[in-house]
Amino acid sequence: MALTRRQFLTLMGGSAGAAVLFQACGVPERELLIDSPIEMPEDLVSGIDNWYATVCHQCDTGEGIVVRVIEGRAKKIEGNTDYPVNLGKHSPRCEAAVQGLYHPDRISAPLLRTGPRGSGEYREISWNDAINRLANTLTELDNDLEPEKAVLITNPVGGHLGLVVKEFTEAVSANRFVYEPVESGVVRTAVQQVYGQDSIPDFDIDNSDFVLSFGADFLGTWVSPTRYSRGYGEFRQGGRSRGKLVHVDSRFSTTAANADQWVRVIPGTEGLLALALLSVMVSQHNADPSTVEALTGGDSWLESYNPENVASQIGIDSEVIRHIAAEFADSEHALALGGGSAAAHSNGLAAMKAVYSLNLVAGNIGQKGGVILNPESPLEGVSAAEPGNSFSEFQRLIQDIDVGNVKVLMVRDADPYYGLPDIADFKGKLAKVPLVVSFSNMMDDTTSVADLILPEHHYLEDWGTDIPLAGVGHQTIGFQQPVVRPFFEARGDNLGTKGFADVLLTVAQVMGKELDLPGETFKDIIRDGARKLYELGRGSVTASSFEAFWNGILQRGGWWDVNERGPSSVDPTRLDSISDINISGNGEFYLQPFLSASLLDGRNAYLPWMQAMPDPVSTATWQTWVEINHKVAEERGIKEGDVIEISSSRGTIKALAMPNPATDPGAVSIPFGQGHRDGGRYSSGRGASVFSILDAIHDKDTGSLAWAANKVIIRATGDWVRVPKFENTVAEFPRDEHNHIIELTTDTGNH
Amino acid sequence: MAENGQNGRKWGMVVDVDRCTGCNGCVVACQAENNIPINLEEHFNQRRAIQWIRIERYWEGEYPNVKARFIPVMCQHCGNAPCEPVCPVYATYHNNEGMNVQVYNRCIGTRFCANGCPYHVRFFNFWEPEWPESLKNQLNPDVTVRSRGIMEKCSFCIQRVRRSTREADRDGEELKDGDRGLNPACVNACSTSALTFGDFNEENSKVSKMREDAMSGEHSRGYRLMDNLGTETNVVYLKKVDESVGAPHGH
Repeated sequence: MALTRRQFLTLMGGSAGAAVLFQACGVPERELLIDSPIEMPEDLVSGIDNWYATVCHQCDTGEGIVVRVIEGRAKKIEGNTDYPVNLGKHSPRCEAAVQGLYHPDRISAPLLRTGPRGSGEYREISWNDAINRLANTLTELDNDLEPEKAVLITNPVGGHLGLVVKEFTEAVSANRFVYEPVESGVVRTAVQQVYGQDSIPDFDIDNSDFVLSFGADFLGTWVSPTRYSRGYGEFRQGGRSRGKLVHVDSRFSTTAANADQWVRVIPGTEGLLALALLSVMVSQHNADPSTVEALTGGDSWLESYNPENVASQIGIDSEVIRHIAAEFADSEHALALGGGSAAAHSNGLAAMKAVYSLNLVAGNIGQKGGVILNPESPLEGVSAAEPGNSFSEFQRLIQDIDVGNVKVLMVRDADPYYGLPDIADFKGKLAKVPLVVSFSNMMDDTTSVADLILPEHHYLEDWGTDIPLAGVGHQTIGFQQPVVRPFFEARGDNLGTKGFADVLLTVAQVMGKELDLPGETFKDIIRDGARKLYELGRGSVTASSFEAFWNGILQRGGWWDVNERGPSSVDPTRLDSISDINISGNGEFYLQPFLSASLLDGRNAYLPWMQAMPDPVSTATWQTWVEINHKVAEERGIKEGDVIEISSSRGTIKALAMPNPATDPGAVSIPFGQGHRDGGRYSSGRGASVFSILDAIHDKDTGSLAWAANKVIIRATGDWVRVPKFENTVAEFPRDEHNHIIELTTDTGNH
Repeated sequence: MAENGQNGRKWGMVVDVDRCTGCNGCVVACQAENNIPINLEEHFNQRRAIQWIRIERYWEGEYPNVKARFIPVMCQHCGNAPCEPVCPVYATYHNNEGMNVQVYNRCIGTRFCANGCPYHVRFFNFWEPEWPESLKNQLNPDVTVRSRGIMEKCSFCIQRVRRSTREADRDGEELKDGDRGLNPACVNACSTSALTFGDFNEENSKVSKMREDAMSGEHSRGYRLMDNLGTETNVVYLKKVDESVGAPHGH
């Protein structure tokens, strides 16, 4: 073997002899390539990276993520393959966490308002000053004898943060409110009443063969979309026979778009359909008699909901109802779930109870392909996030504010100023609160009218734990750790940001309050939780010492025990009859607001990747659009981009027309998410918020806002704006004589 | 040769359209990994938004039997690529692992390649990309930031593929199929596992088996985009299953 000079150098450069020697004897392909000073993509050398596991808080799901960190900077988010909730997958929203961390408009020090409220004029103050101001005000309030003094509004928080918030509010006698713009309370109450569970159960879509969904856009935005999507992939092509998805919804959502059958119903009749299905299954499909008796109380009232009686109210053919009932009853692993707009009517709770009771009749509780219930938390006092307070409770809070009973309003990671409908007049009444404090590290609408801002760390810089709201059927706790040093660390201890829990602990300490918590700092409290898990001596991480255990759970992103499972049966309770819904306004179109796939309820509007992410159905970006049936639009001379005024009984907003063939001719759909007063450079003053024009219609049982219960009129203003969208950016693929995209679909699968 | 380092591999992807929900997770993941400039509102309006991978949405049928079809489209890494021979400066070329590669500092911006590409997956930087100073902290140091006047497109995340193959070669280990470090960002992000990446020259790899299943047999769902053009793409699609195809009323 004759060695060329180059091969010799290759040999000398290699450390492992044999493998390199073999390579060097092969075809001297390298010799043939022209070497040049250009940067070939293959030759780029990558840096050393570290991947840290933590928990994502971009939505309420709490997905386990790993963050790629190079030289102290977070670069990329991916799913944590170990974490039971998302098993290595992640939603598009998780990716944008790094943009939140490095957002150019982040607040980098405590701020004190200097100009009029809402003017945006602030000056920086030190953390000592800021904490003293808050602590002194709270102490003054605590010492006098007036009722209703301080209020803390947070997003739904669970895990150890929930524990700290609870202890803090009790110690300083503040009232605690949990704010969700789109409430989960109806579904959570229904689950509680039907299954006796506080947390939302797991839906084993993976192993199901027939999924019947009512209004829940579970492939897009509902509860735990990544987990459900992962299951959906297997449901479709996981090697078993292909499952069938039937989606009942008044709007054509991402889930409807992927359903085998989209059953379009008149808004607010989803519950009627569920009862009609139950009535058919009870009478024709051999439902378990004891379950039926428990659900109906032994009476025959359910018969009045037979398909022939209710089909016209629902707006579909009675045969369709009978067909779905037969398919549901005949499927081996049928599964029903519901939420979203189906729960956002005045009969929401009754409807959800009917939907979730379908699973009792199917007998799938605790079964493969069915509803998997969750066990209790392994740690006492540490639980999944509570559901938000209902809209009617917030209306009472606003009354309290109005009569001057609220002296301090503290807000954390919640934006009621943006999300509460104008009819509630939170915006106007807020003037009566002497001190508004925000803990946000980004401007949002509520923060923009705050008097004092104590910016908290981004969650990639902070500690935490998370118990998934939609549990996975066994005990699971996610551990959140700082993956990078705080971005504003260089501003010193007196400026920069601090962890929210640690700020609460410091405020309580300054006030001289003893909190019943197992640690001085939030990290200590979390370590105590970890120690209790260590002492259990079971689960995904076991170790010989606590320090090894601690490292183990941080490395894996959490602790779980697949053997600690939830109950596998429930005692059925009696169903409610479905009342007629209240609809506000007498416009000709139902208003169907929906959660934006990227911005959700508006919380992600400050992130440019989320603004630029095309909506799956309309492909629109960066704007507020209104979906309208294309034939209706044509009749009215409305074309894409026409500025449309949408007026409810409570107000008017403008949105860009986006005609499509799938919108109900009797409805218009508008995404939540835009229309922020302040939210940094990427969202301020952009689009319109459909929250603002909603009327105060409540679910009659829970008091939640019935956000799908409005009718509107629309009017073209005559203006036109180009819709920023992805569609038509590239040429379409060719179509066949049936107008099908050539080769995109087939009818000869393994169905 | 397949087990022996960088030569002999042929990277490719299988896209199962029946799993895809059109969620756009791949699109955002790609933006995050590959330093793609922020697509502002005006970029969409100018039709100059850059998405190396995109979800195309098609409508079929009439209300209420209307269907939306989603199909992810990225560079097909053609074996017989129309974009390659037209480049006067060899900025786009075929490497010895079956990938169609773009050399950014060779490109002079003739845009001939974009004209030649039937899949519309090549994007030209009409503007100098801009990030606010603090957002630059997120940029991936493994990926070149492209300047104004040059062409860019999906690279199958070559930086990840190179890292994985280099590390496997260094440690003398066989490259594991489906290794997360090897997978392009879109594949890891896909929550329904519609995207699968691997080595078509490795007969036991998942993509090879999927392609074999897809291209043979009575119920095969496999096809390649615009196969009639003879581009010999390295991306294989699996059709969406819908029994209503061809029927006048779907349900």
